Amino acid sequence: MKKHITLNVNGKDHELLVEDNRLLVDVIREDLHLTGTKKGCGIGDCGVCTVLMDGVPTFSCLVLAIQASGSEIVTIEGISDGNDLHPLQQAFIDHGAVQCGFCTSGMILSSLALLNKNPSPTEKDIRKALSGNLCRCTGYQKIVDAVLAAAEIMRAEG
Amino acid sequence: MVLPRFEVIEPKTISEVCIELARLKNSNVRLLAGGTDLFVDIRKKILPEHLPRCSGCPPESNDPQVPMKPPEFLISLSRINELKGIYVDESTISIGAMTTITELTESDIIGKYLGALAQGADSLGSPLVRNRGTIGGNIANARPAADTFIPAVALEGTICVSSSDGNREIPADSFAEGPGQTVLKKNEFITHLIFEKYRNKYGSAYQKLANRKALEISTISVGAFLLLSDDLKGIEKARIALGAVGPTPILATNAMNYLQGKEHAESIFNEASKLAAKDAKPITDHRSSREYRLEMVEVITKRVLDFALKRALKRN
Repeated sequence: MKKHITLNVNGKDHELLVEDNRLLVDVIREDLHLTGTKKGCGIGDCGVCTVLMDGVPTFSCLVLAIQASGSEIVTIEGISDGNDLHPLQQAFIDHGAVQCGFCTSGMILSSLALLNKNPSPTEKDIRKALSGNLCRCTGYQKIVDAVLAAAEIMRAEG
Repeated sequence: MVLPRFEVIEPKTISEVCIELARLKNSNVRLLAGGTDLFVDIRKKILPEHLPRCSGCPPESNDPQVPMKPPEFLISLSRINELKGIYVDESTISIGAMTTITELTESDIIGKYLGALAQGADSLGSPLVRNRGTIGGNIANARPAADTFIPAVALEGTICVSSSDGNREIPADSFAEGPGQTVLKKNEFITHLIFEKYRNKYGSAYQKLANRKALEISTISVGAFLLLSDDLKGIEKARIALGAVGPTPILATNAMNYLQGKEHAESIFNEASKLAAKDAKPITDHRSSREYRLEMVEVITKRVLDFALKRALKRN
């Protein structure tokens, strides 16, 4: 049986018919064609499927689409301002924090949630906030550098 | 499709859950809290040996490896506001079952009154797991290494459950019967947890030992609670709970009885830690050997007792 849900993704309401057992990540990727959200381990270890659900970093692989109905979802596609990259996105590029890129959307969204809560994080705060997002390329240092730099830019921009 | 087919029911109140559980008593029903364990357990396994998840489970047990029989119905608890939130009154602290682990780590009430639980919550999984996972789910899963369950046992928590037959209260230390097995009846579910609120002269602490700092299941873990006498020298009450050294969280009763009524001192804590290691019943598995666990129970118990004492003294 399918259920009718309204999914608010990146500020836009989507009316969808979904099966009860469909995961949020699958609906985002396959129905909404927002493939910036990746699918990795599927069991809540790697963090590549991270989206913001009401501002909170959430594994979209462990949430049913019908559970997300009524929440505001933000994916990586929703954080830039048109063609202008978000300061975090730009900082990731500038610091070489993107290598294969598979973890990047999750990393940026977890970082964004941290910076929204704590605009002046220490390196330790960043490492803790990103401890559920795994990266097998960078060794994390470049990512931490990028978040620190983005935090500075975002503070300056107010 | 990774998940098997099931129907999801989303009740809005506790009484609706009771009605649904009674209505579906002959079906295969699972309660959905945060989903961070449930969806992992019911998804189709790619490898038969995919993820043995249960520290403390005997290797021959079929518990961790075999995918759970897919449920026909999931009752989602996430839209029930009655099950959320942390409240404190004159004598008790109450935590709704659907309170997330992140909410526990950020709560001033938990940090102030239930230090061991705050530490346990902070060491559970990763930030993403903590954002979804709930204290009710963590305890209902009854893993012997669960990072909020061990502190709840040490802090002498009471687990409040509801069903169509009424409500009942179960002490946290007698809630689990084995890995993943609890005293809950099929129509019962956890609504909230209650902890006694002490005035002062008390402290609690929790520490886990693991190979990594995040996304790790404890090799062993220890939670302790100390209540001091009025002159702050004697130990009026001590509780020590051990994780991942048996099929359920274990109360180190010998160590607790030894501490009660004594004056706290280095040598007393050393002796209590030795007794705690005797209370532990660990096995050897892929996380650690039995011998290492026994050694570490002693070391971590001593550290946790010291920490709890420091907190108790600091409060005055």
